[in-house]
Amino acid sequence: MQIREYLLRRLMIFPLIIVGTSIIVFGLSRVGGNPVAIYLEHEMSPAEVAELEERYGLDEPLPLQYLAWARGVLTGDMGWSGVSAQPVTEALVNRMGATLELAIFSAIVAISLGIGLGTFGGARRNRWPDHLTRVFSISGASMPIFWFAILLLILFWVNLGWFSTGRSEPTIFSSIAHPTGVYTFDALLAGNFRALLDALHHLVLPAATLGFGATAIIARMMRSSLVEELSEDYVDAARAKGLPERLVLRRHARRNALIPTVTVIGLGFGFLLQGTVVVEIIFRWPGLGRWMADAVLRGDQATIMAYVLFTSVLFLTVNLVVDIMYAYLDRRVVLGA
Amino acid sequence: MGRQMSSRAMKLMAVISILALVAACTGATTDTTEAPGGTEAPGGTEAPGTTEATEGTDAPGTTQAGDGDVSNPGLYVHAADDEPLSVDPAQVAAGEAGETVILQVYERLVEIGPGGPDLIPAISTEVPTVDNGLISEDGLTYTFPIREGVTFHDGSELTADVVKFSWDRALEMDLPEGNAGFLGDQIASTEVDGNNFVVTLNERNAAFLNSIVTSAVASIVSQEAVEANGGVEAGTPNDFMASNMVGTGPYTLAAWNRGENIQLEVFEDYWGDPASLDVRIDQVADTDVRALGLQAGDYDSIETDPTFIGDLEGAEGLEIFSGDFLLEPVHMGMNMNIPEGALPPEDTIPVDFFHDVNVRRGFNLAFDYQAFVDGAMAGLGGPIPHYLPQGMLGYDESLPTYERDLAAAEEAFREAGYWDEGFTMTVLAEEGGIFEIAGLVLADSMTELNPAFQIRVLAVVEAQFDDAHAQDPFQYAAWIKNADPFADPAALFDAYIHPDGEWGSVHGFREAYADPDQIASLVDEAAVELDQDRRAEIYQELATILYDDPVWLIPGNERALMAHRSWVQNFDMNPLWPRPSLKFQYFDK
Amino acid sequence: MVDVLAPETATVRVDGPWTVRLRRLADVSKQVLSNPTTLVGLVIIIALLSLTVLAPVLTEPNFPNPYQMPRDWGVRDAPPGTPGHILGTTSTGGDVFYGVVWGARTSLRLSLIVVGVTVTVGTIVGSLAGFIGGKLDEILMRTVDVLLAIPELIFALAIAAVLGPSFGNIIFALSVVFWVKYARIIRGQIIHVKQNEYVDAARITGDSKLNIYRRDVLPNSVTPVMVQATLDMGGIVLTAATLSFIGLAEAGLVEWGVLVSDGQAGISAGKWWASTFPGLMVFLWALAFNLVGDGMRDVLDPRTEGR
Repeated sequence: MQIREYLLRRLMIFPLIIVGTSIIVFGLSRVGGNPVAIYLEHEMSPAEVAELEERYGLDEPLPLQYLAWARGVLTGDMGWSGVSAQPVTEALVNRMGATLELAIFSAIVAISLGIGLGTFGGARRNRWPDHLTRVFSISGASMPIFWFAILLLILFWVNLGWFSTGRSEPTIFSSIAHPTGVYTFDALLAGNFRALLDALHHLVLPAATLGFGATAIIARMMRSSLVEELSEDYVDAARAKGLPERLVLRRHARRNALIPTVTVIGLGFGFLLQGTVVVEIIFRWPGLGRWMADAVLRGDQATIMAYVLFTSVLFLTVNLVVDIMYAYLDRRVVLGA
Repeated sequence: MGRQMSSRAMKLMAVISILALVAACTGATTDTTEAPGGTEAPGGTEAPGTTEATEGTDAPGTTQAGDGDVSNPGLYVHAADDEPLSVDPAQVAAGEAGETVILQVYERLVEIGPGGPDLIPAISTEVPTVDNGLISEDGLTYTFPIREGVTFHDGSELTADVVKFSWDRALEMDLPEGNAGFLGDQIASTEVDGNNFVVTLNERNAAFLNSIVTSAVASIVSQEAVEANGGVEAGTPNDFMASNMVGTGPYTLAAWNRGENIQLEVFEDYWGDPASLDVRIDQVADTDVRALGLQAGDYDSIETDPTFIGDLEGAEGLEIFSGDFLLEPVHMGMNMNIPEGALPPEDTIPVDFFHDVNVRRGFNLAFDYQAFVDGAMAGLGGPIPHYLPQGMLGYDESLPTYERDLAAAEEAFREAGYWDEGFTMTVLAEEGGIFEIAGLVLADSMTELNPAFQIRVLAVVEAQFDDAHAQDPFQYAAWIKNADPFADPAALFDAYIHPDGEWGSVHGFREAYADPDQIASLVDEAAVELDQDRRAEIYQELATILYDDPVWLIPGNERALMAHRSWVQNFDMNPLWPRPSLKFQYFDK
Repeated sequence: MVDVLAPETATVRVDGPWTVRLRRLADVSKQVLSNPTTLVGLVIIIALLSLTVLAPVLTEPNFPNPYQMPRDWGVRDAPPGTPGHILGTTSTGGDVFYGVVWGARTSLRLSLIVVGVTVTVGTIVGSLAGFIGGKLDEILMRTVDVLLAIPELIFALAIAAVLGPSFGNIIFALSVVFWVKYARIIRGQIIHVKQNEYVDAARITGDSKLNIYRRDVLPNSVTPVMVQATLDMGGIVLTAATLSFIGLAEAGLVEWGVLVSDGQAGISAGKWWASTFPGLMVFLWALAFNLVGDGMRDVLDPRTEGR
């Protein structure tokens, strides 16, 4: 019951927080620069500028300006992205696939590595293997990504020639259609195995770099939950029944330890999202992160606003979903026990 | 049950990710054993005019930089730092990434030839001169005989009417971000006379061919393509032309994957010698990644910043092309027109700081030119006289050039009255390149001269710099950037020296020059003088006057620089903007 | 870069007289130090802090501003071991050793200021929300939720982009971003204490709110705030380095992130030192504070406490 109330409350607050975020984003855009700039598709005459100011209520008081802007956002009008020479919404949609694909694959790396390391460490608590895995996973979170990524490129691109940058080999890219913008998925849709391999091949380094950074969050949670589970009565009972330690760990403790670990996936996702800004620059990944970095350097307010807003909404949504998922899993645990 | 599901889900995820990794690794191995050259695997056969068809057909795309092994045979890959916003000649601003592509796919009446500032015929079969009669005696009318048998990439035919259409189109659209203003100010009329295209100017302009006819805005576009896609509308960009190209040049635009690459294909029906290699321009924002890609052999040439040339020198399989001096010297603007109260709070200088010629000379004498040329330009640059870059009409090595002279600098600042009390001044520059470094060299130079002379370098991102730079009046005491590239001194002197010119009015040169009217009349006279020897003399006279009465500090002049793989043959570029002047059509590998 | 290791509910109840608390604190410290990884982190931190203290002794401070990189334009790209440049020089003649040493000071200055500001602001906001409660609590906490919705680096990037590149602006941007978690921690503590019966007991004996605050809330908040602050010491330096990499650094500032991104192009041409040493410093700095923060939380987190 309590959980249901909690979730209901979360769901009710959700839109409020999004509105709050949009106010902050809007506020940022009014601190620097001319607000009309976000709607300029090219250098315009004073008459055209005046017409735009009129249309978006830019001569009105700030609250009305906000409403005019927010109405635009809701109808898909977020202005003109100077860095991609497209309407912001169009550019956002075009680049979303690249970033989501990278984030998903990085999450897979982080989750599998995190769970693996956490289990390994938790089962050998306070022994050397535990300490070493801890240092390893925390190293990932402490690494300046831009430095680490370049080191990887020097090794795997320049010296070994195993990987390169970008999302795909151009000739392979042009051999299939890309309706979704998620290249691995597009390759599956086209049934083209070579394109799938190519897309995966290009994902390895950036996903490993980014995923390594987010590993620590998951490894930590997994380890401490496992330590807790291992001291539970049912584990003792299983041991008493003569079950080998390996099976105790695998069949009982680890399963239960996974559930609280789900809660930090949302946090880890936030880390992945912000990491894309740097990783996409270095690995030439044409996604939203690089779009943001370009916009910062070129002072493209419309793009910055859209990016911050989109990222926050995505981050919030993932967290909400994770919470719901956890509540569901947790209830099952209680019922099953 | 829920527990099992979750556990299974997790396990599944783990398995998938491991599979993904394994698959990707095998992908790597298959990639390096097969030939991902893909469509160009047959290689040499596609490259006409080459005899090395046997070479490197199985060289993989991601191969190591081997000796002799050429990666991506048949394809030239250039890594650019910037992506075009538009590829419409009527919309692109000078120096923008779009120019690179426009100069390959479209053609102009005359072109700047390979290897130098000399003009060569292109769409016009002759370069007009007074001698060949194609420039009228009064210098106002230019006649361009139009080449016959030239077809556009869409199959339509090029005629004198289409040339007129192209020019009129840019003039009518007159987009502020484009360069049509350039044309509009000059041109009285455009006409078609039989097979000739005739342009009449408002007034004599010695730089008409060099700086206007060769510029991107004067490119010849397909009338058919424009009319089928939105036509010409004054003041409004054409969406089709902004992302599609129908020209007559040696390359066609094959694909543009925004954020990733632009692909150009050899135009087989080109009227001249067809190009050898297809071209792909990759977008690579990060400098380091460009450098690594060049070393990995994935790029044949990269957008090169002189600040990291030193880092590439000596690496295997690479060459640094160092050509003529660019016609865009790095310079520091000195503001004689500082609004009261505009300066940052740290600044202690008065608003009329630079009105005193001793201060301006003092800066010029104190700057450590050697440190800048060696440090920021890896030795591949040089000092220049005020204000004639090497390679420009009128340049002469005997012209007076500033050198560092601390004693003379001290004298100048004592004369100006700043020696004892010192000062703090902020100089604005764009972050992360030679401009920021020029600022740091300035700061070090001044502190070395006198520890009480403090220079704050405010290095801001490109956009913030551009905004500040465009403001009139300018809000800081000084800024550092490079000059806009002009092929002819008339435009250069008008923009940067004339007391009533673009910067003359922003910076208040009239407050500075000892005799502003003399400088104005010399600049004006040279602009309409058609006798090139006489023009050169006037510019030399100006250079001598400006040495004593400088309104700029010129840290140095870059050479045209480009790092490329040693396997690139016939590599060449022009000393205008380094980027658009890569003439891919002449390259081979 | 983010608080990937943030404490969820790190609390140790310390009640009773100071002597008991002190003894408890000593216990905790012993436990914290019994973990070798924490110890390693602590040793690195001590080494880094000594570096900041000894900076003027190790290298002569650049005149007049020691936080500007000294440049010797005559000695560029010198390899480590060059006389006078023990770790070599950068492509603009900057002494890498100077950058490493004084960069530690920059990092310390940056992280201490930001942590100081954020802890103060967070404490004030959290206290107001927790004590006054009601509508104000609702408003403040929803604001906190909103700020937490924007990933830290992205928020800092957006703010710094508007303000322009200077050390002061980076401090400002990071402060705006990092205070939020402290407000949450402090508020959580107050709510928790409020619900405890001993506060009722205190009320009956007529203790003022301020007294309750001083005696029960603050001491209980110290540990979770300390854990978070330790983690942030690392995160702040990492975030600032990332902002420098993207291009928002102050010109000529002795900062590790600037040195790394300036020196990277040279690595593959054999000039590895200009970016490797400062990169290693950022890594060590973040690693050390993360290890210690992680270790502290292990002990202080009730979930694993005492096991």
